[in-house]
Amino acid sequence: MNVEISDLTRRFGRHQAVAEVSLQAGPGVLGLLGPNGAGKTTLLRMMATVIPPTTGHLRLLGRDPGAYGPRREVRRRLGYLPQNLGYYPGFTVAEFVEYFALLKEMPAARVPAAVATAVERVDLSGKARAKLRTLSGGMLRRVGIAQAIVNEPELLLLDEPTAGLDPEQRVHFRTLLRELGQRATVVVSTHLVEDVGAACSQVALMDQGKIVFVGTPGELTARGTEHGTGDAPLERGYTAVLAAARA
Amino acid sequence: MMAVAVRLVRLHAASRRLPAALALLAACAAGLRGMLYGHWDSYGALQLPLIFEAACAAIIAVTAGSPFGEPERATGRWLPYLRLGTAVTLTALASGALAAAGTGMPLAGGFADIVRNVAGLTGIGLLCATLLGAPLAWTGPLAYMVAGAYGLYTDWHPPVLSTPWLWPARPPHDAGGALCAAVVFAAGLAAIALRGARERPSGDGPG
Amino acid sequence: MTAASAPAAPRSAVARRGAGSAVLGSGRLLRLELRHNAMLWLLPVAFALFFYNGYREIMALPPMWNLRAMTVQNRLLLDLLIPVTGAAAWMGSREGRRGITDLVAVTARPRWSRQLVIWAATTAWAELACLACVAVVYLITARQASWGGTLWWPAVVSVAGVPTLTAIGFAAGAWFPGRFVTPLVTVVMFFGVAYGTQAASGDHSYWQISPLTTGAVGIGAAPGVASFYPYLPDLSIAQVMFTVGLTVAVLGALGIPVARMRWLAAVITVTGLATAGTAVALAGTGRLDPHGMIVIPALHDAASDQPVRYTPACSRTPIPVCVNPAYAGFLPAVTAAVGPELTEFAGLPGAPARLSQVPLVYRQVSGNGVTVGGIGTGPAAFALPDQVPGWLGTTDAEFAAQLDEGLGLHLASHVILGDGPASAGAPSQAELAVIAGSVRFPPSVESRDLGPLYGQVLPQPGSPAALAARRFAALTPAARHAWLAGHLTALQAGRVSLEQLP
Repeated sequence: MNVEISDLTRRFGRHQAVAEVSLQAGPGVLGLLGPNGAGKTTLLRMMATVIPPTTGHLRLLGRDPGAYGPRREVRRRLGYLPQNLGYYPGFTVAEFVEYFALLKEMPAARVPAAVATAVERVDLSGKARAKLRTLSGGMLRRVGIAQAIVNEPELLLLDEPTAGLDPEQRVHFRTLLRELGQRATVVVSTHLVEDVGAACSQVALMDQGKIVFVGTPGELTARGTEHGTGDAPLERGYTAVLAAARA
Repeated sequence: MMAVAVRLVRLHAASRRLPAALALLAACAAGLRGMLYGHWDSYGALQLPLIFEAACAAIIAVTAGSPFGEPERATGRWLPYLRLGTAVTLTALASGALAAAGTGMPLAGGFADIVRNVAGLTGIGLLCATLLGAPLAWTGPLAYMVAGAYGLYTDWHPPVLSTPWLWPARPPHDAGGALCAAVVFAAGLAAIALRGARERPSGDGPG
Repeated sequence: MTAASAPAAPRSAVARRGAGSAVLGSGRLLRLELRHNAMLWLLPVAFALFFYNGYREIMALPPMWNLRAMTVQNRLLLDLLIPVTGAAAWMGSREGRRGITDLVAVTARPRWSRQLVIWAATTAWAELACLACVAVVYLITARQASWGGTLWWPAVVSVAGVPTLTAIGFAAGAWFPGRFVTPLVTVVMFFGVAYGTQAASGDHSYWQISPLTTGAVGIGAAPGVASFYPYLPDLSIAQVMFTVGLTVAVLGALGIPVARMRWLAAVITVTGLATAGTAVALAGTGRLDPHGMIVIPALHDAASDQPVRYTPACSRTPIPVCVNPAYAGFLPAVTAAVGPELTEFAGLPGAPARLSQVPLVYRQVSGNGVTVGGIGTGPAAFALPDQVPGWLGTTDAEFAAQLDEGLGLHLASHVILGDGPASAGAPSQAELAVIAGSVRFPPSVESRDLGPLYGQVLPQPGSPAALAARRFAALTPAARHAWLAGHLTALQAGRVSLEQLP
């Protein structure tokens, strides 16, 4: 298992953003669904080692990220795309991805090829030398994905990765996710249930800091046959599970 | 109607972080008063207030930046007046605070010097905000401060730099220096009122 | 995204990293940072400030190595401070301003290491600006100076001060990435550095550790300093210690928030602070030596107390005037000012065969007061005043006036009165008239300036001796020389009256 979470809790002051979450994930794509404020981003940030948990146990790639040495090893094997991506406007696409490749301590000799591969995989080869300030929002999002995958991560964490992508790009992105999921653990936090249905082998649904469902997309769909509301089967399963959790 | 106007002004001020700016202007004034208790030689006594005047001008220039970007520009007619009023009010408050700090103290140059220098330096800062963006607007006033401090030094150690465009080095009631500072201040106000601070797609300057 | 064409990736891209790879990786990071550094954009501002302020002042100085090099140290850092510190603060606040903190926080490279690369890139550009300014001044001076080798210590202090400016600016921006921090830290730094030059008092002031301070506070860059004796590096060494220590301390403090490196960072910070503190303490032990330089006993090398060997530059006048070759450019002005006296007294009994410049002697008095005088070993020695043309706005006329008051009067009084009035009793009115008639004071020398000399070597204004002096002055130098040749002995014996003067 690449991700082992046990009774994980995170508080911000008196607000409990994540409440005693337990989860395990191996290679494959895990979709993280939930309404706004459910705790998805906070859970993702803990898995990305941005913030430490308040209580609970977290093991990533067989290591305890609480200690400096193992945490550094995890970060070398980690790819992370936050919900709000900052960038340096004067950098080119290639320079931005190279920058993160170097920060991830990739072997320097392998960086140029890795950068070229990552840029190609997000379909920005033609814009490799363009300055970031000249790119559209969707292209910037793809640059963010490129920096997350440049080091061929074993654990890839993506927060709203398809925000701003056009439908064609979303299709390609799902294909990329499935391919990455063959070797790595990919955790995708998203509002778009169709992304989850198309690319994810497992789904976890969060509400008010807790995980209220873990299973396959098919199992989630099945939960919505009788009590769910929505236009698509997965949406109905989503709403049914939430309603049951809140009841 | 008046309540709405007050509310609009208050929100605009908050968006420009005016409370923080006012606190920093007050801190500059307090700093100047503290420093005036020390002994300063001939040109040092004139350079000292110039440093605080430049700090005030840099603070005013930096507040010209908008955190909203394009959505704010695509609004009604009040924005130029809000920008103009903010700049003029802050300049007046900065001048007043520094003058108050110098009351009863051996402040070389006096009130006339303060008003001229703060207005002129603020004008430079506002022009820099229009050209470079608010986060980099400090470069103009502070670079000019160095030139002005050196100009004051040359008043005692020739060759003298005597152009009115270097107004800090001119006597407090010098008409040429005051005119140049006023022209720059007016140009800065016009630029910031009509165009506002430059906005970059990413929100900031280089780096 | 072309998943089908994606190459088959290895199981993990994390291969074994060697030291070489780490260095190469750091080098690539540095290259990226150099290309996108804000200091690059502020280089024109830095050059403009230096050209407008320091460069003009330095080039207006006489082409003497000591004057120009020491003035570079006085001015350069102050001119560069705003763009350098501002750029560093801007770069330090970059991650906070761009909202990229989380993204870089999850990378493997330690934050401290990442920040040091950004700081290094900023400092590299800033040092380039500093070195370029120094190079321009030094190259021009090398072509213009009449003598002397390059004075490196003032440049070394300035170069060592640049990383301190960038370190403090960078740290302020990194810790407080707000919109007001960059201008505020820049102003505070400017004030602090400028204040350091005002606060120093005396030769043992701790404030003279400021890298803007060259030599004694009451003297600074003066022609008489480091001309006859070597430039003492004592204070410069302490200043470099101070700036390096402060830089190390600030950069070390950046690493303290990093949990694993906290102890190492704390040790580095404390070491830096200790070094800087030691330097300040050393500056407090300084004392002004007679040659105008600060001696710090713990850092002093006695070998540098030996005078510099030189071949003097001499004039071709009836009494040759010989100066230190650093002053060779002023020799024509000297001989022009006192030429008539040299013609008048050449060959007379008691007249020197040649006049040789001796170094000025500096003594510290209370506060920032320094007395300056010549060592006066006799009629053959003279000291050129520090106020040479071009230094602090001194004009040729002012220089000539000082020469007449000093060298001209000194020569005349020695020849007419012998070894001095004190040894021979009070001079006669005729002697006073001859002395006054021999020295041509320019109009800029007002009678009140000569007040202390009336009755000692000059007649009272309006007295019969003053009238006789005017008659004597109306003669040509050759005529005065001829008269003195025949009557000097009688004049000195008191057997010549005012009416007998031509």
